[in-house]
Amino acid sequence: MPSRIGRRRFLERSVASLGAMAAAWGVPAVLRASAAWGDLVGRFVYDGKAPERKKLKVDKDVDCCGKFDIRDESLMVGPDGGLANVFLYVRSRKVSICPELEASLPKQVKLDNRDCIFVPHCLSIWYPKQEFYTVNSDPIAQNIDFRPLGDLPANIILSPAPGKNVDATWKFNKSQLVPVPIACNYHPWESAFILPRDNPYVAISAADGTFRISKLPVGKIEFQAWHERSGYLETPQWLRGRFEMDIRAGVNDLGTIKLAPDRFER
Amino acid sequence: MALGSPFRSALRVALAVVLLAMGLVAASGCGRTPPIEFPLNLEGREPASVSPKQAAAIRQALTELFGTPNEPRVPDGVPLDLKRLAMAAGAVGGDAQGRQRGLYRRHCVTCHGIAGDGAGPAAAVLDPYPRDYRRGIFKYTSTRSGAKPIRKDLQRTLYRGVPGTAMPSFAHLPSEQAEALIDYVIYLAIRGETELYLLQLVVDEQSYLPPDMDRVMEEGVLPVVESWLLPERNQQEWVVTPPPRPEVDRPEVLAASIAKGRELYLAKDSQCVKCHGPEGDGNGEEKELYDDWNKPKKGVTPEQTAALARLFKLPLQRLRPRDFRKGVFQGGSGPADLYLRICVGIKGTPMPAAGPAPGVPGPLKPDEIWHVVDYVRSLAAGAPTPQ
Repeated sequence: MPSRIGRRRFLERSVASLGAMAAAWGVPAVLRASAAWGDLVGRFVYDGKAPERKKLKVDKDVDCCGKFDIRDESLMVGPDGGLANVFLYVRSRKVSICPELEASLPKQVKLDNRDCIFVPHCLSIWYPKQEFYTVNSDPIAQNIDFRPLGDLPANIILSPAPGKNVDATWKFNKSQLVPVPIACNYHPWESAFILPRDNPYVAISAADGTFRISKLPVGKIEFQAWHERSGYLETPQWLRGRFEMDIRAGVNDLGTIKLAPDRFER
Repeated sequence: MALGSPFRSALRVALAVVLLAMGLVAASGCGRTPPIEFPLNLEGREPASVSPKQAAAIRQALTELFGTPNEPRVPDGVPLDLKRLAMAAGAVGGDAQGRQRGLYRRHCVTCHGIAGDGAGPAAAVLDPYPRDYRRGIFKYTSTRSGAKPIRKDLQRTLYRGVPGTAMPSFAHLPSEQAEALIDYVIYLAIRGETELYLLQLVVDEQSYLPPDMDRVMEEGVLPVVESWLLPERNQQEWVVTPPPRPEVDRPEVLAASIAKGRELYLAKDSQCVKCHGPEGDGNGEEKELYDDWNKPKKGVTPEQTAALARLFKLPLQRLRPRDFRKGVFQGGSGPADLYLRICVGIKGTPMPAAGPAPGVPGPLKPDEIWHVVDYVRSLAAGAPTPQ
């Protein structure tokens, strides 16, 4: 006897398969989608003296990695206070996706192992449309280890490069609520974060603290801000790093968001 | 036949007295065991960070989906046999047909705990700790990197036990009972991963209470169920069957294979020596190794590690890479077992998959893995390390 939840699921799945059939028969998938789209822009600023990035202990594969100046990447503040690597993403569960985005985004999201660190340090992936692939540019073996909640964990060896086909691809199957840490079991100082989502509306702030989420549907959307030091990036206005915004067509400017240094202490 | 009114009143009084007496007995705890509950998974969390309301909402959602230790149930779409679960669950005993009940509590609970948290009463003195099923990760599988075990993998572990650990062989159990236990372990694993999702949703995300059960099914339960079904349904892609082992029937052929295996073992590509050491004695340069269950207990500084300790039931336990010379292999010491360990790795540990997988070339080809197996087996057989 199907349970209450079971029946509801069955109904939802039936509706979902009808949707798939409609798509296959050429019915536009975004019938209810907004005709207008807007960008969300702004800049995160660390409201204090830029902290010194500590040199990390490099005690493995020293022949290769010892020659690089490897420093802590967990808090990257630019010369004029711009804070890099803040994830800002749509928290609302259902969001219309601008059809132009699929064509404009790369099919793959790449993580490189270069000079004994992960490059880039922060990534996001629209997992139903984009593939995660990882390469090794170093002459030593590297390892990629991550455990997304409720999704398949990975622990991959990447043979030394160059001269070998050492690219590995990986598929995520589930949205995550917060970014997933990536580690290397061989080199404990290496660290990166990836956020798999079922929509492309994720920005990661650049070295100068600026960010842009392009082509959001107009209307009310809830956003989430997250940083690896603070977790949910709370401000006096953003409880648990969340805020709702009425996106309008064109550019929606959040301006400068000043962040108190005590949020990033550890 | 209607009873007279005075008689009915007397009956009511008598009934009230009996109920009161029963209530008193119950309140004094005489002759009654407390109800068995699944403890909430608060590992790694400040207990105060979960409010009583949140804890109650998570318990309620889990009970709605999975029942209780005495009366398990599963939501639709979870392919587990309720009859088998009933056989494994509940108190130790037998049914009217003489079949055993409460198999999990008879055989497993002392080490693995009522919720499968790997922290039963005996756990603290064991090294390695018993498996905590609640992350849905099982170490010894024939499935590709990342995938859940197939049923056969759990059967193998149950029948063989885990050599070198406290996990004994349950080969003596009738297959009906073994299958019931395997269903129950998968049940605890799916329940455990759902619980982790609920903690994230209710506590970290602070969602409205009670949580939206459709969302819990869609984001919490069904992806976990899908991950269990994936390798079972698509064995061609996800399950590794070791290819036929090259003939090593003559001593010189075996010696050549061992030499080749040693070369691959020592090569930079495979990274074996990093943990297992050049001599294969488990004494590589990597000393700070932890499995997925212990990693969260490790802070950056010793002070942080000490502060974290109070948030976990069991103390931090370091992982020791296998010393091949001892000849004891937890996942089995047959050539095919060792092939699988190298090819797909050991889930939940730093031992990665060295074999090829879809999308991942891996450093060792199948024939190369066989050479490494021959080398490792030669060390286990007490062969001196070739110079």
